Amino acid sequence: MSRSSRAEPTERIEPAGFADVEQRAAEKEKALGEWLRARGRVAIGFSGGVDSAYLAVAARRTLGADNVLAIIGRSASYPAEQWATARRVADSFDVQVLELDTDEMNDPRYAANPANRCYFCKTELWSKLVPAAAERGFLTVADGTNADDVGGYRPGMQAAREQAVASPLAEVGFTKEEIRARSRALGLPTWQQPASPCLSSRLPYGTSVTPERLRRIELAERAVRELGVTGDMRVRYHDDVARVELPAAELTKWLGPDRAELLRAAVAAAGFPRVALDLRGFRSGSLNVLHGVTTA
Amino acid sequence: MSIFTSMGQAESRRRADQLAASLAGMGVPCKVEPRAALAVLMVESGVAQRLADGELRRAALALAREQGFTHLAVELAPPAAGADAALPRP
Repeated sequence: MSRSSRAEPTERIEPAGFADVEQRAAEKEKALGEWLRARGRVAIGFSGGVDSAYLAVAARRTLGADNVLAIIGRSASYPAEQWATARRVADSFDVQVLELDTDEMNDPRYAANPANRCYFCKTELWSKLVPAAAERGFLTVADGTNADDVGGYRPGMQAAREQAVASPLAEVGFTKEEIRARSRALGLPTWQQPASPCLSSRLPYGTSVTPERLRRIELAERAVRELGVTGDMRVRYHDDVARVELPAAELTKWLGPDRAELLRAAVAAAGFPRVALDLRGFRSGSLNVLHGVTTA
Repeated sequence: MSIFTSMGQAESRRRADQLAASLAGMGVPCKVEPRAALAVLMVESGVAQRLADGELRRAALALAREQGFTHLAVELAPPAAGADAALPRP
């Protein structure tokens, strides 16, 4: 598809310090370009999230259409909306896409949902993606891990290392904020998209992952979005209770009686008998805190 | 590790009851259902609305932390049977 169909950047109202971020980001993009050119051809694990979308587009601009392959791994834990975003970005920026089905749901080690669940998911993903890339002449495979990700609890990164998957954004020091700045400058629709980890991250460790549970979570989150909630939010699964984490700034509004009932009804309609609103609001890695894997 | 991973049900219940008593003391009468380190508040109609006040909410979170709960959520109860079923517009 023609690049002319890509979204134009919206009118800019720059926050304080934005110029500094843009400058740092532009410098890191140069370093990323050098990294990419040194490899020549690159396949990218492509989810349509902020990071992998930027990496795919930056690689396409640097190496040309024939030398970049964005590979989407599809499964029940991958939200349909995110797949649609991935396809939209690829179409708009003329990025080649390959879609593969992954089968982590049938791995009992994954389905049991241990704290290192992501390791089994990513092992399945990369064990299919890396050979598929190699068959097509792409010997370098990269993911969208950024510099902010490196210090957190991310067992999935171990699986990437085992399969020799590179993380160029992290290598050149790109932070999430800088990736958003460059995404915005390039006109990517993902530049202000909330972080979007897989749906299994809504289940507490030890609660088994099933397609039916993931489907309910996906429906509930879609329903909350349709009420007009923007920004980071999650519907966390606690058996019969759905615990909704909204942006902290929106809590006052949604605790009012009218909106609280709208929220309850929307989430209940997705199949949750009870709905509770978290009083602290959205927390990245909330369930890691709940289980004492990380601290608050 | 969360203190709740090694705690018995009786201790978990005791902490939940203490939290409920503290919350009642600040004008949020409720029952507290402990689910590991998550405390779910079950409140009468109209009480959840009081937690729209940010200061009260922060105080409630602090009380929950004192009892070892890392997460605090208030259950949104459905309208009582017989109440006007019409939903408000967003």
